[in-house]
Amino acid sequence: MPDWQERITSDTPPAIRVEHELRYAAALPLVRERAAWCDLGCGNGLAAASALGGSYEGTVVLVDLDEQAVERARTAVDAREVVAFAADLTRREDLGRIRDALVAAAPEGGRCVTCFEVIEHLPTFAPLVELLVELATAHDTTVLASVPNDAFWAIENPHHLTKWGEGAVAELRSLLPADHVLLHQVPLQGSALVREGDATEEVTSVSLADGVPSHFLIALGPGAQGFAAAPRVVQVALEEERRWQRQRESDLAFAFARIRSLEAHVAYLSSDKRARRRRAARDGQDDDA
Amino acid sequence: MKIAFLLHDLQLSGGVGVVVRHARELATRHGHDVTLVLTREQEQEPWEFDGLAHLHVEGLSEARGQRFDVAIATWWETTFSLFELEATRYASFVQSLEDRFYPPNVPERTLAALTQSLPVAYVTEARWIADTLAELQPESQCLYVRNGIDKQVFAPPAELEVRLDGPLRIVVEGNPQVWFKGVPAALGAVARMREPRHLTLVAGAGTAPAAHGRTPDAVVGPLSQQQMARLYADSDVVLKLSRVEGMYGPPLEGFHMGATCVTTPVTGHEEYVEHGWNGLVVDWDDEAGTARALDLLARDRRLLHFLRTNALATARAWPSWEQAGTFMAGALAAIERAPAPPSGGARQLMADACVQLEHDRKLAKEHVELRRAARLARLLRRIPGVRLLLRARHHRVGRALLRPLRPLARRLLR
Repeated sequence: MPDWQERITSDTPPAIRVEHELRYAAALPLVRERAAWCDLGCGNGLAAASALGGSYEGTVVLVDLDEQAVERARTAVDAREVVAFAADLTRREDLGRIRDALVAAAPEGGRCVTCFEVIEHLPTFAPLVELLVELATAHDTTVLASVPNDAFWAIENPHHLTKWGEGAVAELRSLLPADHVLLHQVPLQGSALVREGDATEEVTSVSLADGVPSHFLIALGPGAQGFAAAPRVVQVALEEERRWQRQRESDLAFAFARIRSLEAHVAYLSSDKRARRRRAARDGQDDDA
Repeated sequence: MKIAFLLHDLQLSGGVGVVVRHARELATRHGHDVTLVLTREQEQEPWEFDGLAHLHVEGLSEARGQRFDVAIATWWETTFSLFELEATRYASFVQSLEDRFYPPNVPERTLAALTQSLPVAYVTEARWIADTLAELQPESQCLYVRNGIDKQVFAPPAELEVRLDGPLRIVVEGNPQVWFKGVPAALGAVARMREPRHLTLVAGAGTAPAAHGRTPDAVVGPLSQQQMARLYADSDVVLKLSRVEGMYGPPLEGFHMGATCVTTPVTGHEEYVEHGWNGLVVDWDDEAGTARALDLLARDRRLLHFLRTNALATARAWPSWEQAGTFMAGALAAIERAPAPPSGGARQLMADACVQLEHDRKLAKEHVELRRAARLARLLRRIPGVRLLLRARHHRVGRALLRPLRPLARRLLR
């Protein structure tokens, strides 16, 4: 069974962490232009704090279902003002509170909402989508959201309450204003050379073409056209990966061996049963004689 | 939100089932007040769809006295009654481009096509329909909402049993008398197979294809959803050679139970069928080729299992009705939010179209009767002596002799 980890923590594998970082890195220029930023599903605020990389001049509105996570996020993010509260994104009253808090945070306009990897966790997302569209069209808000492409691998993540993929994204897009922007987040693989004992930072170029995305990112509202970021790569934690792969290989080999052993046992039982049947038939004939 | 879905009737059909399911989701999960408005007199008792208890079911006359936030036509003929309801927004839920159900030169075809150009918002379940409507009516609001699958009934198995031997178990579903379902072609393809197979045909009551001379191993139906799920679970392949489909549900239901499919490239298949990955796509009018594809699956059990495995994975990624209902709720909210298109003349237009349709149907009926009479007259003329009698009408003496036969001739030609 895969080890599902839905919150970004310091233990999150680098490959997943960099995916989150890239989304926030793309959002950052738009966030910094705005007077208020609302992060929906902020968790413990690590991703938001890491994206900001310093102090934010505006007001941050942090929202999550988990009250404890919200409290941790309140202290993790450095901003002129932090408003943090727990809210259920499926309830219209809670969504109303979020709208009011965000509008109050920047009465003159200039707002941004990030909603990364949240929608798939909601049993019903229609009220949230309504709010995001309303903010983008009527409240001078840039909205940035993402959903995973679970459908491609038919991944059954127990934390994801709805299935997202190319078809569901097409459905979602039909609900959005026509001028929204869709980005495909694509995974990368690579390799690098490093002198023994060195720690350096390298810059490289990578060719990107249309391919199967790991995530779909959507931007709507003012500034949506500027939603972009350069690719990010991180070094693979090979030791961890090796452990996971070896465990899988060894489990597989064990399972195959077990199957072979069971098959041999079944074959033995079948032949034994046939032999007993033959013996019984022969004994019957002897008795008749 | 107060919502009205206009339906012709509540008889068992895929299209009606989809509407009832959406209505139920909107009522039970999204707190909307949903009414199913039946637009014509009901001759039969309604099918016992699950969830009807959560909905209001009313006739047109009762619904006329109410005000709805959104009124939604669900079949082209129900658009005739759409504007008779008082509603803030009007919409059409398009499950297929319904003009294609009719042959050319029948009035229904033209009028069904006309209903694709109404000043309403459109909601549709297939991308090919959304794309077509967007081209036909770029100004109209068109929302895409896929049908869900009942994951409790069509519950995907945790593991897929490998079927190494035995006859290839094929299921063909559809009314053999409906031309675009392609059932006779499917039966023909199976009849051409060389490998061992077992064919089950699911057809409505009284629609067994005896006339086609291609007898399946079993004919069943009509079946409930639970019975269909069990049948798919016992089958290897869903064979569908349809010519017109909307979202194309049956193979997808088969996918959920671990059956692959062999299909024509019918509209809707592109939503989830991928040739060589989770099914096989065969050519139009190619019974021999289809038979070879089925024979291949019967012989190559590794390929069969590969396709079934991916079919099941495709099914796992398909949305449930709960998710589909959420998108429908979002779509109706978007329709309510958007400005209403000017629909001033629509009510008059649809009333005129309805009258025209009735008139055309009457004319078509008369045309059929006249053709029948003409055919009878031609047959009568072939009877020895009749031609002589007809020629005799042109002479005074002949007319006098034939006078007693006139009442009989009138009765025959009536």
